[in-house]
Amino acid sequence: MVYRIKRDELNIFLEGFARKNQLVAPLKGKLAKFELVKEEQVKDIYLEKNTYFPAKEFFFKKNETVFTFKDNKIQEPKLETPKRIFFGLRRCDLNAVKHQDKVFMEQIKDPYYMAARENSYLLGFHCWEAPSKYCFCGTLNLADYYDLMFYDKKDYFLVEVGSDKGKELIKEFKTLFEDIDITITKEEKKIKGADRLLKDDIKGLYDHPDWQKGVNQCLSCAACTNLCPTCYCFELHDETKTSNIQEGKRVRNWSSCQVLDFSRVAGEHVFRQKREERFKHRIYHQLEYFKERYGVNMCVGCGRCIQGCPTRIDFVQIINEMK
Amino acid sequence: MVKAKTIIKNAPKIKPKVAFYGITGCAGCLLSVLFNEDEILDLIELIDLKAFPFIKEVNVEEKYDYVFIEGLVASKEDLEEVKRLRENATFVVSLGACACTGCIPAYRNFTLKENYEHLLYKKVEDLEDVQPTPVDMHIKVDHYIPGCPPNKKEILTFIRSVLRGKIPIPYSSPVCVECRQNGNECLLDVGKPCLGPITAGGCNSVCINGGLECWGCRGPSKDMNLELMIKILREKGFDDKFIQDRMRTFAGLKLPMLDEVIKHTKEKVGAKNE
Repeated sequence: MVYRIKRDELNIFLEGFARKNQLVAPLKGKLAKFELVKEEQVKDIYLEKNTYFPAKEFFFKKNETVFTFKDNKIQEPKLETPKRIFFGLRRCDLNAVKHQDKVFMEQIKDPYYMAARENSYLLGFHCWEAPSKYCFCGTLNLADYYDLMFYDKKDYFLVEVGSDKGKELIKEFKTLFEDIDITITKEEKKIKGADRLLKDDIKGLYDHPDWQKGVNQCLSCAACTNLCPTCYCFELHDETKTSNIQEGKRVRNWSSCQVLDFSRVAGEHVFRQKREERFKHRIYHQLEYFKERYGVNMCVGCGRCIQGCPTRIDFVQIINEMK
Repeated sequence: MVKAKTIIKNAPKIKPKVAFYGITGCAGCLLSVLFNEDEILDLIELIDLKAFPFIKEVNVEEKYDYVFIEGLVASKEDLEEVKRLRENATFVVSLGACACTGCIPAYRNFTLKENYEHLLYKKVEDLEDVQPTPVDMHIKVDHYIPGCPPNKKEILTFIRSVLRGKIPIPYSSPVCVECRQNGNECLLDVGKPCLGPITAGGCNSVCINGGLECWGCRGPSKDMNLELMIKILREKGFDDKFIQDRMRTFAGLKLPMLDEVIKHTKEKVGAKNE
């Protein structure tokens, strides 16, 4: 099902959400990121380029209280997320949500993630052309995964319905949407200029000397994993109160495979002591290990790990140049 | 109304004997302990505060379970003091940048005496000057709470943890990890000489959150790529003198290899250009 909405009516549609529910969309700022957008900010929504920071933190939070404890009792937090509409997610961002859904909602049902995810609507924004020179989603077989997808056609937007939730939204604002009888072809959905990655099969390349090109430029600063929309590793900490050291909370924070502490176990053994091992681990998890387990590449080709790297390590180029 | 003595639940039956001592330093790290205003009274219920000369009149000099030392060794008196504390303590914690890395006072080690001689105290006759050095260059230190000043929460976290039978593991990852999570713009990208990538975090990237680049006050991170950091700063247009000075400001004595790495990477660059 495809609908059409006039360009100037899109804001009416979004303002409607911002008024009644929570609207999350990209704002430019110093570095573009997804933020809660108030009604009067709808006109400032930034769609020119993709965002520097992903929308990940709205679902898989940077800092989440898993439970509180007092003496020997555990109290689980109330998990309530208001109805949230995400607008402006690119195809890569949408697939990133899909991959995190696999991790946190399929085999393991993570209540914290699910609570944040359940009441959210994913409204995508199609890139006709790669919005950044770092993009490489073309090779990664991205799927259709959205409630609504917006295609910018200058005077109007085509809106493709991807789920029942999407249908529901259209119904709610039916005066703004015109039903049109077309389909958007696979060819149209292809993003131009995003085929930089020449091969995603790196199985036999683990010992290739070319990885060293990246390792030498790596500070192990974890910018790549923190800016990645799919990276989902976390660590748990207990925080206690001074007034009662048996009272406190257990907190979940983002973690990163790029640092030594990540693979440290009891007895102070660190499994991935060498920078090279940590560097390769991320890329192999993105393009190999996740695929072995879930059948798809974890990486969605948004290029944020390259854009945000202090030395701009381009692992795509490194892989491409490997013989 | 004066609040009655707080009753702390689950306070240990045998409270650990704790002492906070300051040697040469600005005492800012001791202030960091006190800045925990909301919890300080609770804390005093948890521990047996034997000595804290900065705020306490009566200080008992005996055996301690935990001793926090603020400041660095800069006089003979300091040296005797840290030795005494070590002999009397089961567990010694270096509190703050001076005690952990030497901080700014230790910068003197990297300049000629004629540059600072006129600044030395002359009036105090019996002050015997020693090379300013962090505590662990004189005695064994069991734990470090770095930072200039240290994170006030980290001090309490340490005490609560030991009371629960745990020694917290020091944060060894670079400042960048928290900085990126805080949604900051990378200051290296805007041309500032940020030392975040080679500096141990745990500070919640407080300086960068406020727009100031990291100066490295928490000391080198465990697996810093010093060579690359120098290369990046050179590419941003900073000269070797600047890089060396900046890196030595807070943690010079913990970077004994710095001269060697600067020289070595220079040769590499030179070789490339030929």
